[in-house]
Amino acid sequence: MLESVSFIIPLLPLLPFLGFVANLLFIRNERSAGLIATATVGVSFILSLVAFILFAMGGGSRPYLDLVTWYWINTGALIVPFGFLYDSLSSTMTLLVTGVGTLIHIYSIGYMHGDKRPVRYFAYLNLFVAMMLTLVLADNLLLLFLGWEGVGLCSFLLIGHWFERKSARAAAVKAFVVNRIGDAGLLLAMMAIFALTGSLTFYSQTHPSGEGVLPGFLDSTSSFSAIFNFPGQPMVLATAVTFLILIGVTGKSAQFPLLVWLPDAMEGPTPVSALIHAATMVTAGVYLLLRVEPLLEMSSGTRAWILWIGALTAIIGATAALAQWDIKRVLAYSTVSQLGFMVVAVGLGAYTAALFHLLTHGVFKALLFLGSGSVIHAAGDEQDMRRMGGLRKALPTTFWTYMVGALALAGIFPLAGFWSKDEIIAHAFEHNIIVFGVLFVASILTALYMGRQIALVFFGEQRDHSYHPHESPKLMTVPLIILAVGTIIAGVINLPGSHFLNTWLQPVIAEEAAPFGTSEIVLAIVTTLIGAAAFYLSWRFYNERAARLRANSNDPIYRGTGAIWEGFNEGWYLDGFYKAAIVQPFRSVANFIAQVFDPRGIDGLVDGIVRSLNGASNGIGRIQNGFLRTYALVFLIGVVLIVGYFVAVNR
Amino acid sequence: MELAIFIITALIALVGAGAMIMSRNAVHSALFLLLNFAAIAILYLLLRAPFLFAVQLIVYTGAIMVLFLFVVMLLGAERAEDERDAIAWQKPLAIGLSVILFIEALIVSFRNGFAALPELSAEAEQIGAPETIGQVLFSKYLLPFEITSIILLVAIIGVIVLNQRRKTVS
Amino acid sequence: MVPTTYYVLLSAALFVLGVLGVLLRRNAIVLFMSVELMLNAANLALVAFARERASTDGQVLVFFVITVAAAEVAVGLALLVAIFRSKRTTDVDEVHALNG
Repeated sequence: MLESVSFIIPLLPLLPFLGFVANLLFIRNERSAGLIATATVGVSFILSLVAFILFAMGGGSRPYLDLVTWYWINTGALIVPFGFLYDSLSSTMTLLVTGVGTLIHIYSIGYMHGDKRPVRYFAYLNLFVAMMLTLVLADNLLLLFLGWEGVGLCSFLLIGHWFERKSARAAAVKAFVVNRIGDAGLLLAMMAIFALTGSLTFYSQTHPSGEGVLPGFLDSTSSFSAIFNFPGQPMVLATAVTFLILIGVTGKSAQFPLLVWLPDAMEGPTPVSALIHAATMVTAGVYLLLRVEPLLEMSSGTRAWILWIGALTAIIGATAALAQWDIKRVLAYSTVSQLGFMVVAVGLGAYTAALFHLLTHGVFKALLFLGSGSVIHAAGDEQDMRRMGGLRKALPTTFWTYMVGALALAGIFPLAGFWSKDEIIAHAFEHNIIVFGVLFVASILTALYMGRQIALVFFGEQRDHSYHPHESPKLMTVPLIILAVGTIIAGVINLPGSHFLNTWLQPVIAEEAAPFGTSEIVLAIVTTLIGAAAFYLSWRFYNERAARLRANSNDPIYRGTGAIWEGFNEGWYLDGFYKAAIVQPFRSVANFIAQVFDPRGIDGLVDGIVRSLNGASNGIGRIQNGFLRTYALVFLIGVVLIVGYFVAVNR
Repeated sequence: MELAIFIITALIALVGAGAMIMSRNAVHSALFLLLNFAAIAILYLLLRAPFLFAVQLIVYTGAIMVLFLFVVMLLGAERAEDERDAIAWQKPLAIGLSVILFIEALIVSFRNGFAALPELSAEAEQIGAPETIGQVLFSKYLLPFEITSIILLVAIIGVIVLNQRRKTVS
Repeated sequence: MVPTTYYVLLSAALFVLGVLGVLLRRNAIVLFMSVELMLNAANLALVAFARERASTDGQVLVFFVITVAAAEVAVGLALLVAIFRSKRTTDVDEVHALNG
């Protein structure tokens, strides 16, 4: 049924893009900018809903819909269609992106009211949605890469939205540079895939000449099964390719060791953090892993890497979130940790669980970020939790929705986070007990830091009276309520036993539904009980001690843990490590080049050339002395030489 | 006999040329050059070129040298180089290079040898006769001949223009 | 018959003397005479070759050279007079406005 109205699929990214163009070129006031931006994304959401329903109704006949609008590159050897792939995976992602995107756009109208550059903000936000949809709907790697870079660009621009602040500029540049490292890996992976299969499209489609097929690289996985001799250890080509993709994923999805940019990205406006750095862009890496699942299935080596990188990221993020004072940095490290969970799920082969967690996390983390934005808004742009406290009275809506989000994140029954996180933990329990242990600890830590945050922000008495908290306008609270409702019910899409998402994804990811037995139920009960207990204990602990907190005081547990707490606060010193290992040597080299090599070497070379030319021209100029007889002499020299040449040659 | 005439004439020509470049007085130089031209004219005669002999005497010794002398006297430029030579450094260089040039000429000459020419036939004796030259000049070389006349015309006009005394605009 | 080489050698000697005159003398008129001497040396060689080949063409060429030389002398001397009028000298070294 979708085939007959397939034109709506290209409209999905096109509408936000048109909104971007309009905001870029024509709109000059805040009100219409917000309206245009929200309207385009909203219509896009309605259309994706329509497409989703039509696709679901017509399901079965065709597993996916590949719609080529035109050929982007058509050079014989390299054929890249500007095509959209609509299947169960991308349709789900589309719903998340446009749905959460619409709510965040509405929220932004309220949040960005009175900002200096609202039009620019909405233009970039629209461009981001367009690029994210391009990424999700791309039917080939190059188009996906266009979206990948596009969202990276928007992330850069929006983190640096308040570019008057030095920290915002630095964070924007940091995000961009760190992402470049990952992008290099993805580029190399693309080249390798093209070299191996001669194609960048995911699935086979009609050849542009009308005859034969343009093979898709996911359909010709046998090309990747060759063994090549890596020094010391032979490996399957698929391992090399997927490892390069993994490098790209660690950049975009903020995995160890490239996770350092995400906490700093909180310098951007809060809705941006919610949309880009929690719900959508950072999940692009997980989406890409799901997309190339047939390749991952061929390489147990890469999956092991994915597994351990994800586990390490999950524990780093969770511990670091425990030791932050900035309300948004807590959530940022929490996002890092949850992304680690998703990546672990991919590494375990639990692709559905990864997507499930991606979706629920997208909803409740957006909720949490928007809630924190509401708090920051109410607290007069204050982000330090030590200066908050007692806000539940002034911000009832925000408090209750935030509470829902926090409990969901902590994995409390029956909220969305419980179902998705528990599925991952169950898989880990089944396959790898060490990873299970790491995830278990990480999820307890999750409950701890969320309890701490709730206690510090909403309970107790207001510790800083320099601002008068007030509930945010309807434009901001309504999206919060909608997201909170979503958080409560989102678990139904893949309840154990129903496996709706699992079935839905069957055409793309052929994965057995997770078994659902007594051990799983026991495990779920244990984790949720421990999580709830941790949440409560943490809340109580901080609630009792919060009243003594002052702007510069240490955490109550600082006395006992000291250096460890600081290490957590610094995000395991990854930034310091990069500074010492990369930034400082680079600076030294740059300094050497700028202060020694450039003036002495380059300038010396240039000056030397100038000097020698000057000398030469002075010497030559002296010959040109104006004396007729000297000219005659030079003439004679020439005559002598020429005659001499002929005398010597014609013997 | 012919060789003797050649040697004497050649010596006169060389002496004339040498004295011309050495004498300090420009009038003397002109007169020595006149001697040289006359000697060359005699050599033309030896080379069976009676017409050129005549032209050489009339044009060079007759017209051109008179013009030279006339200009020397007009400008009073008999002694123009009493001051110190500003570029005296190039004197040894000039002499050296000239010697090299002459040595190169010597090498070429010795390579070609000194075989005496055979006597010409009676017909070939006429190559330089005025009739022969006239016929060639007005048939084969008619176009160059006419062009030469134009060159002469241009030269006349040029000389007049160059030496016109312009009335100063007041 | 006198060998052509003798004439060529004489021609070369006269030519070199002319070169020396051009290079060493500063009086513009003498310098000019040296140029004429070089022309004559070349003419002599031409006539000698014409004699060797028993050809009229070489002599005709010399005739043209003499004609053009006459025109050249006329223009050259006119230039000398013009220079003398502005510089009051016939020393070529005094005329070096072209120095770099």
